[in-house]
Parts: sequence; structure tokens; C-alpha cells
Amino acid sequence: MTKTLEVKFPNRCVGCELCVFEVQRQLDKVGLEGSFIRIFRAKNPKTKNIEFSIETDPHIGDLDVEKIKGICPNGVFGVGAKKE
Amino acid sequence: MSLTAKKALIIELDKKRADVKSFSDFNKYIGGVGLGLKLFQTYFDEEPIVFSIGPLNGFFPFASKTSVVLDNAGVIEDLYLGGTLSTRIKFAGVDAIVLLGKAPQKLILNIRNTDVTFEEEDTNANLLGLPGKRSVLKRANDEIILDDYFTTQEDFLEKKFTRKNISGMVVTGTETYKPADFGRYQEIYYRVLSQAKLITVNKSVDPSCSNCPMGCEKSRVGELGGNVLLHSLVTCSFTEKIYSDIGIVFSCLNVLGYDYTHEDIENLPKLIEEILQKTT
Repeated sequence: MTKTLEVKFPNRCVGCELCVFEVQRQLDKVGLEGSFIRIFRAKNPKTKNIEFSIETDPHIGDLDVEKIKGICPNGVFGVGAKKE
Repeated sequence: MSLTAKKALIIELDKKRADVKSFSDFNKYIGGVGLGLKLFQTYFDEEPIVFSIGPLNGFFPFASKTSVVLDNAGVIEDLYLGGTLSTRIKFAGVDAIVLLGKAPQKLILNIRNTDVTFEEEDTNANLLGLPGKRSVLKRANDEIILDDYFTTQEDFLEKKFTRKNISGMVVTGTETYKPADFGRYQEIYYRVLSQAKLITVNKSVDPSCSNCPMGCEKSRVGELGGNVLLHSLVTCSFTEKIYSDIGIVFSCLNVLGYDYTHEDIENLPKLIEEILQKTT
């Protein structure tokens, strides 16, 4: 069964980008360009808090998703089965 | 990324012109506050603001700060901003961004790697650059705010931006790198990351600096002054137990290809002292 990475608790994200850099290392590079995860930040106009949203590329399942899940300090991700 | 020279994006605000300059003899200043002070001295007559990073930013955990060197009423100040700016400057492909002179009108600097456009003051800075790969430094009320959250302990940067007619600065970095011994690089990365327990600040759930998992409540206001080596790399003071270990520092530098020696590290405080004596 092919695994994929699921964003389970986006509200826990602190924007550290460790997951972005983990993806890049698995792709043999250091940087932000071409990462299969992107983190976006926005200020909530009501609460004035910074909120993060996480976008994953469908190709994320080609990588070691357990390792990406494991590097997040706040348990944002889960690992699920990829739909064929 | 050059291992033999420091690259700086020099922005002449009055002429609305930008150039990349390479300084082959500035390597001994390592980066961050060391490099920042040397560039400050070099461009002293043009009232510079120098944003500079170190060799570890973007590559290793906890190396997450950007040094800002500027003059405040005749006193040279070094400030340290958190957030994502250090990684964006690294991935823009430069070691420093130097702002010279004064813009003729209020404007926003839009920097994408080494290309610079000068945008109207009323442009929405949050719409400039590339989402996920940018840092947005802008004025909000009386403060200069980075990424809508991070700021500095004093108002030196706010005053300087006002004086120079800068309403904001957006930096987008899209360069990627591959250290020659990538396996060894990863090994050292995880070794450093595993030392988070040595950091002298509590883990929290506040917005974190890029490449730092702590989410600490201290990151918002950055730092002012402090340890020269840490601030040349550029890390925060809470990582002192990690990055004052010279063995760790050399492992990080060597795997990236830098050939700094122990003497280079030992001489850094003296070099900085010399700059300060000549510039003040």
C-alpha cells in the first residue's frame, strides 16, 4: 500500500518550515523552490493571530512521508493510504 | 552561493538602482554582524542599513536570525530579526542586502533573488513576491513588522526606514543548493536538530523562525547586541550551548565547503573591535 502525507492539525503549525526543508533534503537539495510542501501565513483579521496553512503536492507520496511526519515538532501531519 | 567571497546586494535608494557586488576579502568576517559591520564601514558615508546572514542560515537548524547593522544617532547598533528573512536572503543567493542613501519618494523594495523593483508606497506588500518563498517587512502603525509578527526590541529600524523613505521590503528567494557531501550534510543536520534540548528557551506554540522548531515566545522581538560568534553565524543567544561548541560549528562549516580555521574564529572579535574603533 502506498502511503501519503495528510495535514491533520494545521492549527498546530508554527511555521518553522522543518517539513519543507525535510522534503527538499529528500529531493537532494536545500532551498524552497520546488518543495512538495509549502507553508503560507496570514493574519486572521478577527483574532489578529498569525495562522498557517499547508499545501502538499500529490507527489509527496513518492517521498519518505513517515520521516516528514516525524520532523514536525507539533504533530501537524498524519500518514494515510494513497488512493490509487 | 560563493565559498570564497561574500556577495552583497547593494541598493542605491536615491538612484533606484541595485547591483550585486562580490567582496573576496570579506570572508574573514564570516557573516552576520561581522560581515554587517564591515559593509557598514565600507559604505559609511551613504548611511547604510545592512541586513546580513551567516554561512549556516538556511542550511542548519536554529540558525534563523538576520543581523541588521545601522547607525542610530551616532551609535552603531546591531539588531537581530527572527522570522523567515534569513532563509529568504540565503535563497536569494546573497550574504547581505545593503540599503544606501534615501529614496526620493516613499517606496517598497521588491527583491526577488538579486532583481529589485521599486514599488509605489501604496502597493500591498503582501501581494508582492512569491507566497511561501518570501519575507514581508512592512510598516504597521509605528512599527516595522516582519511576516506580520516579528519585530525588533528598539525603534532604530523604524526610524531609519522613515528617514530613508522605505515603507516596506519584500524578499523572495528561489535559489537551491546541494552541498557536495550531501549524506554527511544530512547527518550533521539531524545531529544539530537533536540538540534542541540544549536550547535555553521553552518550546511553545508561537510563530517560529524558519528552521527552528521551538515556536518560542522570545522570538517575536529578536535580540539586540550579544555574542559575536553566534551573531556572525547567525543564530540566537538561546542556542549558545549548541553553537558555542566549536566542533559543531566546524562540522557545519566544513560540510558546506568553507575552509575557516580556528584562528579565523578566534580572530573574529578582534576584527570586529577594529572596525568599531575605526568607524566610531
